[in-house]
Amino acid sequence: MAPLLELDQVSLSFGGLRALHSLDMHVDENEIVSVIGPNGAGKTTLFNVITGIYQPAGDIRFDGKSLIGRSPHRITGMGVARTFQSLRLFLNMTVKENVKAATYGGTRATPIESMLRLPRARREEREVEARAEDVLGFFGQRLQGYRFDQPAYVLSYANRRRLEIARAMATGARMLLLDEPAAGMNPPEKLALRELIRGLRERFDVTILLIEHHMDVESELCDIVTVLDNGKVIAEGKPAEISRDPKVIVAYLGSGGGAGEAAEPLLAGLE
Amino acid sequence: MGGGGAFSVACTAQMQIFIQTLVTGIVTGCLYALIALGYSMVYGVLKLLNFAHGDLYMVGAFIGYFAIQWFGGATALIIPVPLLIIFMMVVAGLGVGALGVAIERFAYRPLRNAPRIAPLITALGISFILEDSVLLLFGGFTRNYNAPAFLPFRQSIHIDGVNIWSVQIIVVVVSVVMMFGLRELVNRTLFGKSMRAVASDREAAEMLGVNVDRTIAMTFFIGSAMAGVAGVMSGLAFGQISNIIGFLAGLKAFTAAVVGGIGSIPGAMIGGLVIGLCESFSSSYISSQYSDLIVFALLIATMLVRPQGVFGQPPLQKV
Amino acid sequence: MAPIGVDEWVARSGDRREQNSGWRGLLARLDSRVGWWPRLVLVGLFALVYGKLLVGSNINYAQTGFNVVLYAILALGLNIVVGWAGLLDLGYIAFFGAGAYIYALFSSHAFGNLPLSTGGVQLPVVATIPIAVVGVGILGLVIGLVALRLSGDYLAIVTLFVGQAFAEAVNNVAPGTLGGANGLFGLKGFHVGSAMIGSTLGYYWFAVIVLLILMAFLHLLDTSRTGRAWRALRDDPLAAEVMTIPVNKVKVMAFTFGAIVAALAGTMFAAQQSSVFSTNFSAQTLILIYACLVLGGAGSIAGAVLGGVVVTVSQQLLSSPIDSAYLFYGILVIVLVARVRPWRHLAAVVAAIVGFGFGVHAIVGAISHRAIAGSPGSSGWFAGALRHFVIVPAGSPLTYGNLLYVAMICMIIGVVQLKGIRRLVAVVPTVYVAICCWEARLTLDPGITAQIMIGAILIVTMAARPEGLLGTRRVEVL
Repeated sequence: MAPLLELDQVSLSFGGLRALHSLDMHVDENEIVSVIGPNGAGKTTLFNVITGIYQPAGDIRFDGKSLIGRSPHRITGMGVARTFQSLRLFLNMTVKENVKAATYGGTRATPIESMLRLPRARREEREVEARAEDVLGFFGQRLQGYRFDQPAYVLSYANRRRLEIARAMATGARMLLLDEPAAGMNPPEKLALRELIRGLRERFDVTILLIEHHMDVESELCDIVTVLDNGKVIAEGKPAEISRDPKVIVAYLGSGGGAGEAAEPLLAGLE
Repeated sequence: MGGGGAFSVACTAQMQIFIQTLVTGIVTGCLYALIALGYSMVYGVLKLLNFAHGDLYMVGAFIGYFAIQWFGGATALIIPVPLLIIFMMVVAGLGVGALGVAIERFAYRPLRNAPRIAPLITALGISFILEDSVLLLFGGFTRNYNAPAFLPFRQSIHIDGVNIWSVQIIVVVVSVVMMFGLRELVNRTLFGKSMRAVASDREAAEMLGVNVDRTIAMTFFIGSAMAGVAGVMSGLAFGQISNIIGFLAGLKAFTAAVVGGIGSIPGAMIGGLVIGLCESFSSSYISSQYSDLIVFALLIATMLVRPQGVFGQPPLQKV
Repeated sequence: MAPIGVDEWVARSGDRREQNSGWRGLLARLDSRVGWWPRLVLVGLFALVYGKLLVGSNINYAQTGFNVVLYAILALGLNIVVGWAGLLDLGYIAFFGAGAYIYALFSSHAFGNLPLSTGGVQLPVVATIPIAVVGVGILGLVIGLVALRLSGDYLAIVTLFVGQAFAEAVNNVAPGTLGGANGLFGLKGFHVGSAMIGSTLGYYWFAVIVLLILMAFLHLLDTSRTGRAWRALRDDPLAAEVMTIPVNKVKVMAFTFGAIVAALAGTMFAAQQSSVFSTNFSAQTLILIYACLVLGGAGSIAGAVLGGVVVTVSQQLLSSPIDSAYLFYGILVIVLVARVRPWRHLAAVVAAIVGFGFGVHAIVGAISHRAIAGSPGSSGWFAGALRHFVIVPAGSPLTYGNLLYVAMICMIIGVVQLKGIRRLVAVVPTVYVAICCWEARLTLDPGITAQIMIGAILIVTMAARPEGLLGTRRVEVL
């Protein structure tokens, strides 16, 4: 079976700085893959080239079709949705509207049809409504009921993260890219997040690529961990193998670095 | 051939028109540059398009006019002319500077953390109030500095049929001195350093002990004072003033700031000159009616090709 | 924004409970219960009552009514671009003007430079409105496409120039056809066959119908995928693009829709005025439309309409001496009641103002009789009541009024800077000077006063309630 997402010799530079360097990578259907790497390794840049925000050299194929040269809204329309590390919700729209807005690409009614509430517009509105409630319902009581009509800016940090995931799912995603979903969360919340990600895959049958700063609680549920450094993949494999890989330890500690305490963040959660 | 002589005479006449147009363009350009600098500085520190800035220039022109009247009027001055000009510039500079600070304190400071549109709308409101207050106080008719009465055209420099009036020299010299003064101020002094700090990150600057309020007030003072002096000089050079000259001048100066790259001081100077020259050449070679349209078209074209202007830095976007 | 881990909704539950009591709470509850179409019916009923009851009495009322509805429509169009899509379009006036000029061209002697008497091209309204709407819609599309390259302030600048260029262009290009500074006049009104709208009242009814339809359509659009896409674009263009919204297309759509609404308003304006001048489409008019939208609340349909009502009616009131006095003293009372709390402070301030006024009047009168010999500028019973309160010298010289005006501005700036009890004390002479200035100077030039008041409205609204009367508070991540 061909992989769902395939990166082939992807490179990107900003001025003289090489952010991605002939990167090869692939993600199979229904896998959960984690990308880790030190600061500046190119993790978020990787997401930005996949979702079309930056145009790289090389080729990126999703489900056999090339994503190069397509604008972000088309790429998301093809089934690759993402969240942002620095939350980018539509803060002044309500929780439900945030999710509904992401269904734009899946609906077709023209403004005229909407203004006159012609049959297609009405049918689509009903579908969108149902879709929004379905996606938000996945998160249990946290984003339900009275929350529907609250503006997003009143939500707590963790709920904003959840809403971002809900919004990404509402696009009809087959593949979900999560940019540091655990950032700013405390240990119990991280545990809950692990269950959430596992649940997402079961419920929506979605492939997940997620970024982490270092190996952590949620790495446990990953099928594959990919380690990035200086825009290159330096290691790839099962979580347990990666945490023992000497190249990875060097990447985190620097070549001349000592051992011991500094290695701990990388291995945290796996002991 | 006999035609050679006639041709060379025609050529000289053309050269004269060319040089005269060039001089007018440089003079206008210097004035635009002075106004543009204020625009640019305020935009730099507050990210605010201060639409009222052009009206400050208008107020400066009025202060200069009343200074002339105070000293007996253009035809019967009771003090020496150089003294009058220095007095006009100093009073207009200080007065308009103070007005700028008052406006900042009263209208813009409460809006530092408001949505972006709020100070912009306030600026439109201030512009309305300034224009109409002058209309209320002094009437809507056009006044004339009548500068040739005390600075006669006779005192021009004549070079080969081209006349450069002393006022034009004053305008260029004062503008250049002020621009270089400003550049030194921004690059060399502590105030300049804090201004640049506030421009790049207000909160960080505040945390590092920069007195942000004072820096912004100072920026408004300097920017407004330069607009005030520009108002006086434009009255001297072009004569006619009224309560509505501010809007168009502000708009053109703003074009200058944008063409040069908003937030950049040399950009504002060069932008001003470009707009001034463009205006004077299009009105003497194409059509005076279309000169404003040509300037507007130039702006729109610049913005489309290079939105950040010729000298501006493209904004960074963090994803 | 809430600190991490704190949910603002929960944190503010106390405030909300407090808010829900009293008359404000009642209004809020009523507001949340009534659906959108009963509100629309309410607006329609109001317009009907106004049209039926008041219009018969005075021709000016019909004109005011028409202006109110016209500005409401213009504000609605601007709301699409600025309020929803968040694109700061300062060239909106060009679309309004283009609509008016296109209408003028197709219903006057303008084409072919014909003499006035021949009538020229006079298409019926069923043709002129579509021509204007399509023409200006295309213009909006083109400007929208140009605007794609720009964002934020740069967009504001370029569109401002487009607006200015429009006025310049109609003034200078093809003066034979467009009339230059003299404008185009003698336009034929809205007509189909022999039926024609002949009175201002007729245009009022026409505009009201357009307004109601527009409000309904825009509400339905706002709650559809397009409306959501616009608001998403306003909050975060990049996230919108990543969430399947074709940002460029949606931006151009906002410009086009705004332009179409402005064009509709333009045709009505030109037909009712039966002439068009480039000065009708100046920056002043643009600021007036912005004032409507900002005062009412950007992003809200009801807000845009309310803003149109408030701004236009206050402008109208300011043009008549007695009405402007009501407006001035009304605003004064409202500001005092709203800003001076508690009640005993308010009572003290009012008593002090009255005492201060009569005291100063008596002292000045004892020194020089001429200094108080003038009569207040207001007419009616106000003048009688104020005669022994304000100081207006004989013949009410302009210099005196001008000095008062400058003093008033300085004192207002001063009052705003002060705090606590000092402010209360400073309010007394400030209000007194303001009243004197009003009576001695501002009422004499109602046109200028109206402009100053518009400017003041903009500044005060932005300082006190940036979201406007009916808008909702917005957060913005810089």
